[in-house]
Amino acid sequence: MGGVDDEEPALKRMKLSAKGLVGLANGSSSKEPVGGFSSDSMARLLPSEGDDQVVGSKGVIKRDEFVRIIAKALYSLGYRKSGARLEEESGIPLHSPGVNLFTQQVLDGNWDESVATLRKIGLTDDTIVRSASCLILEQKFFELLNGGKVMEALKTLREEITPLCRDSSRIRELSSCLVSPSPKQDIVKVRSRSKLLEELQKLLPPTVMIPEKRLEHLVEQALTLQREACPFHNSLDQMSLYSDHHCGKDLIPSRTVQILETHDDEVWFVQFSHNGKYLASASNDQTAIIWEVGVNGVCVKHRLSGHQKPISSVSWSPNDEELLTCGVEESIRRWDVSTGKCLQIYEKAGAGLVSCTWFPSGKHILSGLSDKSICMWELDGKEVESWKGQKSLKISDLDITADGEEIISICKPNTVLLFNKETKDERFIEERQTITSFSLSKDNKFLLVNLLNQEINLWNIEGNPKLIGKYKGHRRSRFIIRSCFGGLEQAFIASGSEDSQVYIWHRSSGEPIEALPGHSGAVNCVSWNPANPHMLASASDDRTIRIWGLNSLNKKYQHAHSNGIHYCNGGT
Amino acid sequence: MGRIFAVELDGRVYGCKSCNTHLALSTDLISRGFYCHRGKAYLFNNVVNFTSGEVVERMMLSGMHTVADIFCCRCGQIIGWKYEKSQKYKEGKFVLERGRIVDEIGFSTEFCVEGCVSMSDTEDD
Repeated sequence: MGGVDDEEPALKRMKLSAKGLVGLANGSSSKEPVGGFSSDSMARLLPSEGDDQVVGSKGVIKRDEFVRIIAKALYSLGYRKSGARLEEESGIPLHSPGVNLFTQQVLDGNWDESVATLRKIGLTDDTIVRSASCLILEQKFFELLNGGKVMEALKTLREEITPLCRDSSRIRELSSCLVSPSPKQDIVKVRSRSKLLEELQKLLPPTVMIPEKRLEHLVEQALTLQREACPFHNSLDQMSLYSDHHCGKDLIPSRTVQILETHDDEVWFVQFSHNGKYLASASNDQTAIIWEVGVNGVCVKHRLSGHQKPISSVSWSPNDEELLTCGVEESIRRWDVSTGKCLQIYEKAGAGLVSCTWFPSGKHILSGLSDKSICMWELDGKEVESWKGQKSLKISDLDITADGEEIISICKPNTVLLFNKETKDERFIEERQTITSFSLSKDNKFLLVNLLNQEINLWNIEGNPKLIGKYKGHRRSRFIIRSCFGGLEQAFIASGSEDSQVYIWHRSSGEPIEALPGHSGAVNCVSWNPANPHMLASASDDRTIRIWGLNSLNKKYQHAHSNGIHYCNGGT
Repeated sequence: MGRIFAVELDGRVYGCKSCNTHLALSTDLISRGFYCHRGKAYLFNNVVNFTSGEVVERMMLSGMHTVADIFCCRCGQIIGWKYEKSQKYKEGKFVLERGRIVDEIGFSTEFCVEGCVSMSDTEDD
């Protein structure tokens, strides 16, 4: 280690030569703060300084910065004595004496002195000095005005503010305040002095005046990173600072807790209601079923018969009180959820309806037709608008954003159309492969697109659509297989598959998490309960729907009480 | 079987004889001069709505080729084959058997497309 050590006191030398924690294990009560010394931080030590310049095992944290933000945090928490003691004990003042003086002058209202002090605290950027001075002088101006000292305010405006502040419109605004009868009608109300201090703090560089809540911000950043890195994060529990956050895989639904066997033929579609209290399923047997999700499991509420064709999809009304069902190239029926009665049938002569969705207002419905157009109906069956041209394909899904403005459908085999019905603007997502289905995220910012070649693509649809994720592993060669967002904050992607399994991926990393066996036929559709991140439903060609839950029985949301699988054959 | 995914083509379309599922556009037809043991067959640039079988080496009229049988995605009927490795002009292309397809879906079926025997198209298979 050369000459550096020879000048240091013996105690220091012992610490410096310790690799790992050997030298520090005695819990020393020396005055020097103890840090995690590694050979790296030794190399950075300046021989003339007393304390080490860096703390932490990686040697990237500067001691004086660290102490200053801790001191700032102590003051913010209200522990003034502790903050002062820390400044004293470490010998590292939170702010330079000039800054402290400046702060005091601002709070005391010594405007002219504070402007003078401003020039002495070592600011190199003149524009900052000028902007800060303007803020202070404006405060002075308003306070004078409020105190009735109009002449002095005018003098301030003329002699001090005008030469300094170049913004002429602002000067005009200030002048008009002189004229207006009531100072309370100011364009900018007089703010409190502590608020002014906050504004000044934001203006000055952070090295001069430590920003508010800096330590809290750094800790929050770390927690956010931990949470994002946690692949199985699916729990609402609060994160602790004591250890790195790490959810186990046991928070992903992966065990069949119930098998629903009521349909007589392949089940093609399932979807939970928005409030998670109901599940709707659609089948090749030409019926749909509304299921009730209760504490003892899922059971049949109503069986909806009437369609003469298989039902390809359903759509829940925004308030979950009604349901739309769509018969393949046939009609749409609207049902009342509590009574199970069919309230309305929507049809069009010459074209079959192929998709359905509710308007967010709940007052209209939208449908794609076999002639590639899209139609809008009032609830009572009156057609109000129709968009012709190649807007939708026969096999296309249909969706609309929550603001009721953008309609999404597949307009060409490789293209998704995002069509703003008010402005008539069109945006497109162009894929290289044929698109089989898509799913919109809850926040309407992302679109999950299923492709013919067994890939699922995730697009960010804010602004220009951007491809941001890909998910692979499941199987698709003949059928429409659907995928969805789900879990806490929709952090996961789930999909059906022709190999009879349910696939789950971590959304941001694309990492596969689970492939759940159980079904004995292709899994056509999956739906994740929006109100319960631990519950998933899957619809299969084996005529059943499976409800998936957590492996452990001790979790809050677990539904099944038995260790086995709970079968439901439809009786209520 | 689940909800079959099948695209629809625009224009003059050849489709599956059993279920009428669209298979290929007539604009993608390259040659009508192919043969299989069941009779005539057509070479296409591109075919849709099919599933493939295993890739195998097969002895055909013009020699050994690497092919995969293809089937209609809806009814599962065999409709022809796909060249995986072959002479340059055939690689990645599809052959649909004349006996398995109907032409001009939606158009009059009397419009006969195989009348031209003088097709000088290449050989085999």
